[in-house]
Amino acid sequence: MSTVATSVERVPDSDRWERADLLLGMDADPARSNIFGVYEKKPEIARDGIRPRQFGQQIIERLGGKRIHPAWVVPGGVSEPLTELNRDAILSAIPEALAIAERTLEWFKGITEGFREEIASFGNFPTLFMGIVKKDGGLTFYDGGIRIVNSAGEVTANGLDPADYQEYIGEKNESWTYLKSPYYMPEGYPDGIYRVGPLARMNVADRCGTPRADQELAEFHELQRTAVLSSFHYHHARLIEILYCVERMKQLLTDPEILSKHVRAVAGPNCEEGVGCCEAPRGTLMHHYKIDGQGLVRWANMIIATGHNNMAMNRGILQVAKHFVRGEKLTPGMLNRVEALIRAYDPCLSCSTHAFGEMPLIAELYNSAGELLDQARKPG
Amino acid sequence: MARIRVVGYGNPMRSDDGLGWQIAVDLFRTNRCPDVEVLPCHQLTPELAPAVSRADAVIFVDCEQGGTPGEICYKEVRCESIPPSFTHHLIPGALLALSSELFGACPRACLLSIRGENYAPGDLLSPAVTSRIPELKARLQRLIEERLTSAPVAC
Repeated sequence: MSTVATSVERVPDSDRWERADLLLGMDADPARSNIFGVYEKKPEIARDGIRPRQFGQQIIERLGGKRIHPAWVVPGGVSEPLTELNRDAILSAIPEALAIAERTLEWFKGITEGFREEIASFGNFPTLFMGIVKKDGGLTFYDGGIRIVNSAGEVTANGLDPADYQEYIGEKNESWTYLKSPYYMPEGYPDGIYRVGPLARMNVADRCGTPRADQELAEFHELQRTAVLSSFHYHHARLIEILYCVERMKQLLTDPEILSKHVRAVAGPNCEEGVGCCEAPRGTLMHHYKIDGQGLVRWANMIIATGHNNMAMNRGILQVAKHFVRGEKLTPGMLNRVEALIRAYDPCLSCSTHAFGEMPLIAELYNSAGELLDQARKPG
Repeated sequence: MARIRVVGYGNPMRSDDGLGWQIAVDLFRTNRCPDVEVLPCHQLTPELAPAVSRADAVIFVDCEQGGTPGEICYKEVRCESIPPSFTHHLIPGALLALSSELFGACPRACLLSIRGENYAPGDLLSPAVTSRIPELKARLQRLIEERLTSAPVAC
């Protein structure tokens, strides 16, 4: 077999549970490689996957006041202050959430040795990493400057103003995808490939700012003397962030100011153009709007995390396919590894391409002459 | 703790698909019975399993594809270990299975639905669906009352 390549089109976000891949193995029967399969082998791990989601939903409900209108975040702040009752209820759930985060992290670190081949070939290549950091280089999710770190782990740009993003981020359009391909302009296209999200944040941040997460971040930085390059480690980085978030939640909830009644500033249109930037769970999120005198949006541009990661995901698919796809037929194990690479980024392709409806996964295997050898399709 | 949980689900920005969510929101606003908890949601997700496991009975409300638009359908829901293929959401039977396997309880459950005809982007229900909403709500209310007066039945 000579050179092979696969193309994966329209991959939607997945809930196939990374825990299934990590617990049951990449070659597990696809029919059982899901939450039910995880339950059969380790029910406590399946429960630990559900409880934090429930914890998060309950927080949203408590902050929003009631279940059906969770529009708590509004222009100028939030719609209503946190009550003491809700503060105490959220605080009471912190110990369990912290315990789940701790044991999941320990579990993950314990099983990574069995995935050395995947770690070596899952998006394991040099790129830049981008994320927001505080002025002191600490992890933050909003209100900071953009930092860019190269594959050697060196800071190549720091304190970039997100409002000036068009001066350093180019947005290339390719004819074969609805998803744009952002790149770091000083390095040109496609050399300006970069990654965002948990892995990038752990690579760009000097510290997290909470005791346990800082310990874990220090350990994470020891995985590689350079930046941590393999996209397999998105999972590890994500778990450190979960730990940080629970710790940080406790810090915020024990600050008396959290019950402040001053939660919203009210203003009308006072500027015709603005750029908002934050670190969403998947990575850096940029929104750029121009409005008219009535506050109606007349122009908009967005670069969302999945867009930032587009080039890295494509290059990663090529790497994982070259390593694991053999012969002239696609097998479930091969396909699962290609999927798992994509899932590591937790992409939302429906958001990033504005597509909706059925979103099947289609993998095609071509030989070096461009002839289609095999095709696998998974319904959306 | 509420004995009956009504889970109305769907996407209110996809026309008829938003039926279950809308029915649940309406019931949420009017419900005064402490034994009934109403959960409007966009999708059935795994984190609903603990709440489902603690109920004596669960009534799912949804919009169903196929068939004659406007037809009201009722069916008992059984545990089905069918995983999500490649999405975030579950079907009612899979949610029950999760409840059973992870939290040790599988309450009696049913699905009440209207067959839809339009799932295009939009926040309005089709006339065929809208015209049957009063009857659906009446049947839902009767179901709630029946479940409240009957003993718990595990499937």
